[in-house]
Amino acid sequence: MNSKREKRERVMGYCFILPAVVYMLIFIGYPIVYNWIISFQDVTATTLGSSARDFLGFDNYRAVFGDPTFPRAVKQTFFYTIFCLIFQFVLGFLFAMFFSKNFSFSKPIRGFIVISWMLPITVTALVFKFMFAEGNGIINTILLELHLIKEPIGWLIQEKTAMWGLIIANSWVGIPFNMLLLTTGLNNISTDVYEAASIDGANVFQRFARITLPLLKPTIMSVLVLGFVYTFKVFDLVYVMTGGGPVDATEVMSTYSYKLSFQLFHFGEGAAVANVLFVCLFLVALLYLKTISKDEVI
Amino acid sequence: MKRKIAILLTVAMGIASLAACGGDGDKTSGGESDKGQASTSGGNEEATRDGKKEITFWHYMSEDKEGKYVMEAVDEFNNSQDEIYVNAQYLPREELMKQYSIGVVSGELPDCGMVDNPDHNSYASMGVFEDITDLYDSWDEADFLEGSLNSCKYEDKLYGIPWGNNCLGLFYDKDMLEAAGVEVPTTWSELEAACEQLSKDDVKGLAISAIGNEEGTFQFMPWLLSAGGDINNLSSDSSKEAVTYLKNLMDKGYIGKECVNWTQADAEKQFASGQAAMMINGPWQFSGLKDDAPDKNYGVAKVPKADDGDYASVLGGENVAICKGADVESSWTFLTYMTNKENSPKICKEIGRFSPRADVDVQEMFKDDPLNSVFADLMPQAQSRGPSPKWPEISAAIYTAEQEVFTGQKDVDTAMADAQAKVDGINESLK
Repeated sequence: MNSKREKRERVMGYCFILPAVVYMLIFIGYPIVYNWIISFQDVTATTLGSSARDFLGFDNYRAVFGDPTFPRAVKQTFFYTIFCLIFQFVLGFLFAMFFSKNFSFSKPIRGFIVISWMLPITVTALVFKFMFAEGNGIINTILLELHLIKEPIGWLIQEKTAMWGLIIANSWVGIPFNMLLLTTGLNNISTDVYEAASIDGANVFQRFARITLPLLKPTIMSVLVLGFVYTFKVFDLVYVMTGGGPVDATEVMSTYSYKLSFQLFHFGEGAAVANVLFVCLFLVALLYLKTISKDEVI
Repeated sequence: MKRKIAILLTVAMGIASLAACGGDGDKTSGGESDKGQASTSGGNEEATRDGKKEITFWHYMSEDKEGKYVMEAVDEFNNSQDEIYVNAQYLPREELMKQYSIGVVSGELPDCGMVDNPDHNSYASMGVFEDITDLYDSWDEADFLEGSLNSCKYEDKLYGIPWGNNCLGLFYDKDMLEAAGVEVPTTWSELEAACEQLSKDDVKGLAISAIGNEEGTFQFMPWLLSAGGDINNLSSDSSKEAVTYLKNLMDKGYIGKECVNWTQADAEKQFASGQAAMMINGPWQFSGLKDDAPDKNYGVAKVPKADDGDYASVLGGENVAICKGADVESSWTFLTYMTNKENSPKICKEIGRFSPRADVDVQEMFKDDPLNSVFADLMPQAQSRGPSPKWPEISAAIYTAEQEVFTGQKDVDTAMADAQAKVDGINESLK
């Protein structure tokens, strides 16, 4: 009797997720599989339209790995992601702690900060492009007025600084996202725990290190992994602000894949780059699932 | 009871979503989910509007500028006959190009569309367009300039009709030049001397676009050609001279270093706002300048020539073509209406282009127009880019070299030698 009911419930459960699964198979599964297929085929301008394309094995991957731009793009993607994560997370955490103090106006101000996360990325990118302009950009003007620099800096047009310009712009978008998630996490920690700790004589730092951090660990993991995924697959910000330039100084995997496919018409190689990107993200996602399930067991 | 209803509903939803996907799958038959804005009416569909055959036309003339004249012309065509209704859709240039590539796989192509002429060859090789050689040969108004028509050809077959031409010239702010007491420069030395007088704290002498895409290459070509350089010999002294000259202007602060990140529209903004006294740009900017700086007192001249060289310009512009599997007959009627002897000069004039027809005398047409006449005079010797199915790669080699030099990542010799090596590789792969 009982097992029959369980079975029925299980079937019903599957029925409920069926639409989502079908949707995902068609709109997410199919493009991924298709992308893997063309990454092993000879797909260029002349063969794109024909159905009988030559199977190349790993030639596309070999070509991509042999191109000096690719290792550079991989390195830059990681560089960009890691520094964005550090800035976003540290500043987002500080903001979250600050606003959890619930002083007057803390809520409206917090709301204001979130605006930067809600703006379309293209808008943010354009605004930052203007702000970073060498001649009349506001950032150079302020730095010059404060006598912090003597010469205007060509933020987005120099090999050395262009990536930092992107990291700053992206962090501006990412801070509120980190702040929001961490605030929720902080609110879930009962004040009783802190009170008990202070009665036992724990100071501010001890409370932070022994209570806040451990209790916030699941939230922190989600924030970091989600942040990693969002940052790693960046496209629009880079495309609008620098287009991957100057030369290849800000080329990341997504823009490089786009360039190969839609500007140079090496569709197979573009797909290969996209798959490398996919594998990187897949590994991170696996790591995330593993840590989450571990936490749940405890 | 409740549970049964719930199950029924879920199953119904599942089936509905399946059906929806199936329908969509038929239409796109490739499943690319990124269809952009222009996802209406696939190739073969013969939808009707007021009983007319409906065809789709893609273009990238921005809606608030040249686009409105394109729409007017399309409306005129729609009202001129009761067989065909043209549905014109605007997509930004980059997006439109991407949609062509995607359309080859998904089958989601319009009936006809516009294409930037250096890219036409690549898309023809990709199989985006129909071979219209026979139709063209039987057209009694088939009379176009050879250079323009060549850009529509791939392996000796014709895949489109030239729509409008343009080229580059030197725009100058008359008031600024007068205040600085300089004449309109005609040679590179004069240009440098003029820039020296015109460049001040906030004002640059000249604005150009050296961005890392086709626009960067387009803007570099006049300098390269005037110096006697050649895209098949980028490491020659003449080719290097062109880059060296521009880099020198930049080092002296006459050209803003930002130009490596500027499109031609950005250069126009610099000129319109008075932050640059001169700019290299094309006739399609006239309407933008009228909006951005209605009181600007400016003139146009040829791009200055190398001291021992000739004036040079590069052919820009668009072609129109019929897509694979489209309603060829209706599209042909529409496209020949837009490019015939009566309409071509009229439409081209409105959108800041020059008619590519051999039987339209653009010099005569604009002889009393001080701005357009300069471009009209340049048109006959304007050199085309390509045609080559691998032009995008050649172009990438050129703009990359320019950017490497401008940003100081490589010296001129290395950058141009590397670019030549790439071009050699591309030419080799075409054999």
